[in-house]
Order: sequence, then structure tokens, then C-alpha cells
Amino acid sequence: MLKVDSVSKTFFPHTVNERRALVDVDLELQEGDFVTVIGSNGAGKSTLLNTVAGRIHQDEGVVSLDGVDVSRLKEHQRAAKVGRVFQDPMAGTAPNLSIEENLALADRRGRPRGLSRGVTRAKRERFAEALKQLELGLEDRLKTKVGLLSGGQRQALSLLMATYSDPRVLLLDEHTAALDPQRAELVTRLTRSVVQDKGLTTLMVTHNMVQALEVGNRLIMMHEGRIILDVGAEKKAQMTSQDLLAEFGKLKGAVVDDKTLLQ
Amino acid sequence: MITAFELGLIYAIMALGVYLTFRILNFPDLTVDGSFTSGAATAAILITNEVDPFLATAVAFVVGSLAGLITGLLHTKGNINGLLAGILTMIGLYSINLRIMDGANVPLLGQDTVISMMRGFTGVGWSSVAVLAVVALLFKLVMDWYLQTDNGLALRATGDNEQMISSFAVSTDRQKIIGLMLSNGLVGIAGAVVAQHQGFADIGMGIGLILVGLASVIVGQAIFGSRTVIQATLAVILGAVVYRLAIQFALNIGLNPNDMKLMSAVLVVAALLLPQWKGFSRLSLRRRSRSPLAAAAEPATTSDAPLSTTSAEKGV
Repeated sequence: MLKVDSVSKTFFPHTVNERRALVDVDLELQEGDFVTVIGSNGAGKSTLLNTVAGRIHQDEGVVSLDGVDVSRLKEHQRAAKVGRVFQDPMAGTAPNLSIEENLALADRRGRPRGLSRGVTRAKRERFAEALKQLELGLEDRLKTKVGLLSGGQRQALSLLMATYSDPRVLLLDEHTAALDPQRAELVTRLTRSVVQDKGLTTLMVTHNMVQALEVGNRLIMMHEGRIILDVGAEKKAQMTSQDLLAEFGKLKGAVVDDKTLLQ
Repeated sequence: MITAFELGLIYAIMALGVYLTFRILNFPDLTVDGSFTSGAATAAILITNEVDPFLATAVAFVVGSLAGLITGLLHTKGNINGLLAGILTMIGLYSINLRIMDGANVPLLGQDTVISMMRGFTGVGWSSVAVLAVVALLFKLVMDWYLQTDNGLALRATGDNEQMISSFAVSTDRQKIIGLMLSNGLVGIAGAVVAQHQGFADIGMGIGLILVGLASVIVGQAIFGSRTVIQATLAVILGAVVYRLAIQFALNIGLNPNDMKLMSAVLVVAALLLPQWKGFSRLSLRRRSRSPLAAAAEPATTSDAPLSTTSAEKGV
């Protein structure tokens, strides 16, 4: 249902800083696939996600969604079907709006935004119900400005908002990387359950090999703009982070940073 | 004194427009210097041509919002810096305003205007102030309502976090254009009513107006707070009145009308600098903690609210 077809992207072409972020990448996700993407810094993971989201437009190739070529659509047009959670916990919510107003915005994804009331009593009940799943007590703080919440709370809320109106594709860009281990654990758990409950087709970039192996039903590894490893559910279940490290080791010039090794 | 209140309440409509761009969209829009005069010029010319003054004032809204549309298109589709886009429209409007008026000013002596009609009922006095206060509050209520609608929420989020709101399928370009059009439409109305109040439209009446708007917004919110939209819009209206009273006070102590622009600038600088002074935040903290009503209104956030509100004030 999501298809990336021979997509290439080069930054700063024809200069000394030229960088080939994506080289002829092919990737196809089936309905309900949960794919984790790993790779060293500069491997093209984020570029891949941004290309699907429409934030970056590819030089060559086609991105299609449900069989429709969306390559020329802008980010906000694609966002009608694509939900995103960013690495920065501050990025996915509007800080000066209340929790219920943020959810009301998420609720209208892909539908016209006219002059009917944003937050009604019926909606408020629906939002409170959804917030209960987070188990953070946010359902009692609907009128609190989101800017007053902690990073972990905001990221959990971002995840809820991104998935609230059932997008066709969910993109997660290292969305637990900026959180402390406990909060990262919470957000990972929430991610799993929401993706499972709603059967969302998901593409998740992560630096954390353990996380990449634990969640999802498929894993891809990227290096220098190419997909160099694509592991299905069965093989993935038997893999360990040692196996992944060994794969990294085969790569010439790949640098596995300390943080990755320690995990 | 009465005149200061009347003018303050008329300029409050303009200040609401400036609030919409400056605070909600986080976009300092200099178009208002031009669109204010455009509204005044349009209404004045229509009224001298025997058009109903209420209709003429409504047309001023349309003309003002067209000016906002131009700034919006320059900024979003033309990728021109927001400040520059506003300046370009403002400068261009100067010539257009001269064309509209076919001269540098249009007198409205002896014409029926919305103000003369109001005077017919109220005379000059506190009752006319009351009528204008009701009108300003109506505009405030409409704005409060709009900012709570789906579209209004999208507008607020556009000024708050563009990355977030475009990931929820909102065109930030479109929202910015809508905001600029509404804002300049309100400014156009204010210009039209001011012209009818003073009895003429003049090519220079919009010069430095953005400062008046900013002064009203900043002074109002520094004094009366801006925690919620409803509170913030009320603060903007009161700020516009306070600003007019300050001007009146300065005139009374012997400054002449030519000093008013300097006076406006000094007032804005003071409103920006004062909240950074430590003694001021102590004062406002004490004031807040003494208000049990405010504390009861938001039980969940009282523990961290005072801290965050003062830092927000520092950030103006």
C-alpha cells in the first residue's frame, strides 16, 4: 500500500558538499506492516521518512500510497493520510493550545476545517476516553496548555494525536530517542499497542537495535543511502543485536557509535 | 476624556486585528499602516457619494482584507520575508490610497456617518462611550468564537507550531493568508470609523499605526494578562483604551500632538522592558497569588502556572 519506487535524492548536487542521501531505494509496505529502520548516522533513514512524508521531494523515482502517485503532493496534502511523530517531543504538539484543543486539531485530519466549534462536550468525552489509555492522568487535565507538560507526556500525547484519526501510514522518526529510558519504554509500549489495535502500517526509524528487533514484523538496515538488509518477521524473531552488529561490521567504513554498542 | 475613551474603543478594533497577526500568527504585519488608510479612504469616498455609511464601513473591511491578501500572497507564495512583504504592500497602498481619495484628504462635513447617526441617539457623553464599548465587545466576542472553531484552532496552531500543524494536513500558507485578511479587514473597519469620527480621511492617518496596535496589545497584555484567548482579547481592548488615555494625559501635561509618535515609541519600549525588570515580576507574582479566583479557575496548573506566565511575559 505504501510504495517507494527507485527513489534517489542528492543534497547539494555538483558541489564539494554533495551527499547522496538516497540511492535508487525500493521499498514496499503491505497493509499492517510495521517496519523498523536502522542504520548509522547519515545512512538516509530520516531522508527516507521525510521523502514519504513529503517534507523532502525526491530527485527521481515515485512514492505512491494506496496505488496513487503522491510524489507531487505537498507535505500537508499527504498528511491527510500520513501521521508523524517527530524525534523532538516539542515538535508534535502546539504548546500554547490546551490538550483538548490539540486533540481537536488531530481529530480533523484530512477533513475540512470550517466554523463549527473545535471542542464540543461530546468530543471532550471522546478525548478523555482516549487519553486514559496513556495512563498519565492527562484525561483530568484537558484544559492544561500542552507547553506545561513534560517531554515524555508530550511525546505520548504526540503519538496519540498522530494516530487518533487512523492515518493510512504512520511515520515514527526516532520518537523515543530524546526521552529518558523509563519514558522511552512507556512510549515504545504505547506505540506497540496503538499500532496493533489499529492495524496501522508503520515505518519506524530508530537508533536502538534492541528496540528495532523487539517491535515490528520487519526490519531494514540502511547504509549510504541504500537498503542493505531486509529481514522478514520469522528471521527477525531469531536475530539478536549481535547479529545486527555483525552486519554492520561487514560494511566498509560504517561507524558504530558508542551509544549503539552500549545498547 | 470622553473623546479619549471613544477613540480608544474604536482603535480597539484595529488592535484586535494586530493581535491576530502579531500574537496569534506570530507575524509582525506592517500592512496595517496602509490598510487603515485604505479603509478610511474607501469609506469616506463612498459616504461622500451618498452610500449608506454602514455599507461603506463594510466595504472598508473588504478593501482592508484585500490588502492583507496581497501581503499574504507575497509572503507565502512569493517566499518574501514577512516584514518586507508588509512594508511592500504598505508602500504600494500609499499610492493606491491617493488614487482612491483623488487627493490627500476627503472631508466628511455635513455627511451622515455611523458616528453622526450614533450621536443622534446618544449625544456626546458616556452613553456614546457605552455604545462604542458594546461594539468593541461584539468584535471581541466574534473573535473569541472564531478562535475556538476548527479553523480558528488551525490558525492558532499555525502561529504556534508550523511543523506540527502541517503534519495534521493543514496548509499553513492558507491559514496565514486567512489570518492576514481578517486582521487587515478589522484594521480597515477601524480606519473607516476613525475617519467618520474625526470628520475626514487623510493620507497620513495610518502612519505609525502599527506602533499604536503593538502598544495596545503589549501594554494591555502586560497589565491584564493573556492566559486564555478570552482574557487576551479583553486585554487588547483595554490596552487600546489605556493607550489613548496615556496619550490624552501626555497632551494635558503640555506635550504637543507632534510629539505623539515619539510618545508611542517610548510607551512600547517601556511595555517591553518593564516586565524584564525583576521587581515587576515580583509584583505581578504577588498579585497573582493573591487572587483566589484565578487560582480556583485552573486547579491543575496552579503549581506551575505563575512561573510559566511570568516567563511568557518576559518573552514579549
